[in-house]
Amino acid sequence: MFKKENGEEIETIIGPSVQVEGNFVANGDIIIEGTVSGSIKTEKNLRIGDEAKIYADIWAANAIIAGEVQGSITIKDSLELTNTAKVFGDVKTKTIIISSGASLQGKCLAGEEKRSKGEKIEDRPKVVIPKEKIQPLSEKIK
Amino acid sequence: MYLYLYDSFLNNNKKYNSLLAKIETRLTDLGIGGKIYRLSPLRNVNELLADEVRNGVKTVVVVGNDKTFTQIINAVAKFDVLLGLIPIGNENKIAQMLGISSSEEACDTIAARIIEKVDLGQANGTYFLSNITVASGEVTIECENKYRIKPQNKDQVCICNLRPLFSTGQGLSNYFDPQDGNLEILIEPITSWFENAFRKSAQLKKSVIPFKKIAIRSKDSLSVVTDGQRVLKTPVEVEIVPKKLRIIVGKKRMF
Repeated sequence: MFKKENGEEIETIIGPSVQVEGNFVANGDIIIEGTVSGSIKTEKNLRIGDEAKIYADIWAANAIIAGEVQGSITIKDSLELTNTAKVFGDVKTKTIIISSGASLQGKCLAGEEKRSKGEKIEDRPKVVIPKEKIQPLSEKIK
Repeated sequence: MYLYLYDSFLNNNKKYNSLLAKIETRLTDLGIGGKIYRLSPLRNVNELLADEVRNGVKTVVVVGNDKTFTQIINAVAKFDVLLGLIPIGNENKIAQMLGISSSEEACDTIAARIIEKVDLGQANGTYFLSNITVASGEVTIECENKYRIKPQNKDQVCICNLRPLFSTGQGLSNYFDPQDGNLEILIEPITSWFENAFRKSAQLKKSVIPFKKIAIRSKDSLSVVTDGQRVLKTPVEVEIVPKKLRIIVGKKRMF
């Protein structure tokens, strides 16, 4: 998901000595090793390091979480919680990988949003059989 | 029409006389000779440039080092002229970034006229090409009125447009592009030589955050140095001015 650090794709790094407060929005990939409170939003990838502390709601396309997150997480495609991850909040994603040792305390919705519609019997269109006029036998013989 | 600005350290310095003669001959051979002005602390560069631009100068070439170049940028950015560099002496890292390795090669580069538009930073109205350094202290950086960044007191805070010229930012060179329409905040803890020896672990401690507009505030008044030249005091507002400067570059430029 992420290129090597000397590659060009990683655009934002928040180091362990830095604290960010507010609505953090980035256009590219984000790596967080420090503390963030508020919200984090990116249309690309997010990696949260094992020493990071996040008190924020998260929106991203893909995410790997190794640190502590207190807040809801909404991921468009893939979310991975490593064995050191601690998540306190609701998670919504398409696919999720949870390593053994990871902690997740919250509601988890994983998978496609669309589901095939189940039909109730009452909802089915009723087949109407046209009623024929029943003629008395005496008239038919005539 | 060309205007050549010679730095004051070249004045009456026998060490550079033969080199300057060589450069002038080469420029004449290439047909790009022009007016020569020798800078001095008493001469106002802004007035000089205003007069020369009015007289038809289209290209200004700085003859000197990084210090000369960054000093001139603040004046040149106010006019619609092309900027070139002939590096002389030590401290010529900007020339390397522009793809100019020697004084002789610079003459050919200027004649070849490969032109690139680069972004400039602006701090409280002062233009800068390379970077801004903030003195260590309790600093808060407000980014585009959306979020605040609080580095630790011991962190070194630098706002970069070009790749950092000094030891800072090692291993992070790909993040700094003067044509991407962003400036970058580089925050790194001041580390000992022992920690620096393990560069990988040191690199992970650095922060790089791109932005278009920020405000640097502090409790106490701290000094902010633009391009190692001009000293401002906090609070300082910094923003990107995209494609502000037209510059002559070599083929081996680093952006």
